[in-house]
Amino acid sequence: MAPVEVRDLSKRFGSVLAVSNLSFDIQAGRVTGFLGPNGAGKSTTLRALLGLVRPTAGTATFGGKRYEELDRPSTKVGAVLEDASFHPGRTARNHLRVLAVTGEHPFDRVDTVLADVGLTEAADRRVGGYSMGMRQRLGIAAALLGDPEVLILDEPTNGLDPPGIVWMRDLLRAQSAHGRAVLVSSHLLAEVAQSVDDVVVVSRGELRGHGTLESVLGGDEGLVTAVRAQDNTRLARALEAAGHRVQPSGGALLVPGVSPEEVGVVAGDAGVYLAALAPQTRSLEQAFLALTGDATAP
Amino acid sequence: MTSLLRAELLKLRTTRTFVALVGVTLALSLLVVVLSTLLSNAFAPGDAQDLFSADFTGLFIMLLGVIGMAGEWRHRTITGTVLAAPDRLRLMTAKMLAYAAAGVVLSLIVTVTIMLVGTIILSSRDFDTVAFSDLLDVLWRNLLVAALVGALGVGIGALVRNQVVAIIGVLILGFVVEPALFGLAPDVAKYGPTQGAPAGIQDIQFFGDEGTDTLAPGVATLVMLGWIALFFAAAGVRLRSRDLV
Repeated sequence: MAPVEVRDLSKRFGSVLAVSNLSFDIQAGRVTGFLGPNGAGKSTTLRALLGLVRPTAGTATFGGKRYEELDRPSTKVGAVLEDASFHPGRTARNHLRVLAVTGEHPFDRVDTVLADVGLTEAADRRVGGYSMGMRQRLGIAAALLGDPEVLILDEPTNGLDPPGIVWMRDLLRAQSAHGRAVLVSSHLLAEVAQSVDDVVVVSRGELRGHGTLESVLGGDEGLVTAVRAQDNTRLARALEAAGHRVQPSGGALLVPGVSPEEVGVVAGDAGVYLAALAPQTRSLEQAFLALTGDATAP
Repeated sequence: MTSLLRAELLKLRTTRTFVALVGVTLALSLLVVVLSTLLSNAFAPGDAQDLFSADFTGLFIMLLGVIGMAGEWRHRTITGTVLAAPDRLRLMTAKMLAYAAAGVVLSLIVTVTIMLVGTIILSSRDFDTVAFSDLLDVLWRNLLVAALVGALGVGIGALVRNQVVAIIGVLILGFVVEPALFGLAPDVAKYGPTQGAPAGIQDIQFFGDEGTDTLAPGVATLVMLGWIALFFAAAGVRLRSRDLV
């Protein structure tokens, strides 16, 4: 059983279908990027996983149990949500002590996680005076307090400066190397592409791709063949029947991970005349945009 | 539940709000007692007993509960709190118990202090002082009221959520609506959660004419528990059914 399982999850807010029939797993020891443009349903999915919003349909579980059913949930799941807030008048150390008491963790874990995120020196300062980066670090310290099996981070690089982003990437790798299943959401592919093993791509609440980074988005500067045929629809059907993925792009078709020769063979077998056939390279970002169909995403 | 309760008590101790409220409550209560005992020309033991009961503790403890619960939304800490304690009803129960305990501590500090200061002043002016057994009677009634209004404040904060609206609402209820009701409909006012029922537990006449009796302490306690149950149920339904987005 996977550490995190999302099955046929849907969530409707009034007339808005925020998440539609979403299914995916994440695995231990791997960093999974949960990617999609703003408003794609990422935060809603994570909140459904964490029992903060009630799914309209489907399930989101940790080892088969809903978050609310977990015994001492902080030992199973650590989460840093986008709007993680702290009482401004409480020190970081006291904030973590409150969580330690709630989760029945020893107080020495507080010192350990403060050191892990580099906040030992600032631990006795009130959080109201913290920078955005320090708050993110404190949120991560809170998530790590129970030494959880699963780590969930919602847009963790928001508001971080470049050194902070590098620190976050290193942290993600270190956590997965520790055997944890890490799920990190982002609308900025570039900020997580170097850290993730797997990706779940969503757009408009629907799953657009799920698998290793290479299989879903292709390697960076990966092979793509651009082809234009007399009858693009027939060619697309033939390519898909041959097991290839096809993305319309203007008047042409893009076929990721397939050489022009292979495309030519499929077209010949299908009896489709080609007007143009050429190899292309594309970046991860282009692949991501093509997959999400979101022209405004960076 | 024990760990949740301990966590809520730790939350209370680790911000300045509780200490500030103890200071303000103590200062105001002392001011009233000192001025009353120093300036009055005649002071019967019954008057002093009423004075030791009629402090500001109840109102401030209710506000403390309101601030403690509604503050979870104001500071947007409710998400983290629910993540740490996913059972929202247990969370609210723990918070109510914590603020009931905080109310008892605050009331103990204030009541004992004003009793000491008031008794010293009365003795120095050769007025009769309140018998020790009567002081103990005032003390347990004050502590009981403090515990009940602390829990009720949490219920109000959980239902209203908007901290400013909840605080203003409690102040209007305590200073305008219930006092007005004591004049207009005393038989209704004595069931009120901020003045009427607490006055019954403390066995004092706050407002209204001499002919209107407050509730008996036992009945008044049940009425207060009813108010707490009402707010707990209403807030519990809202807390459980609403998404935290």
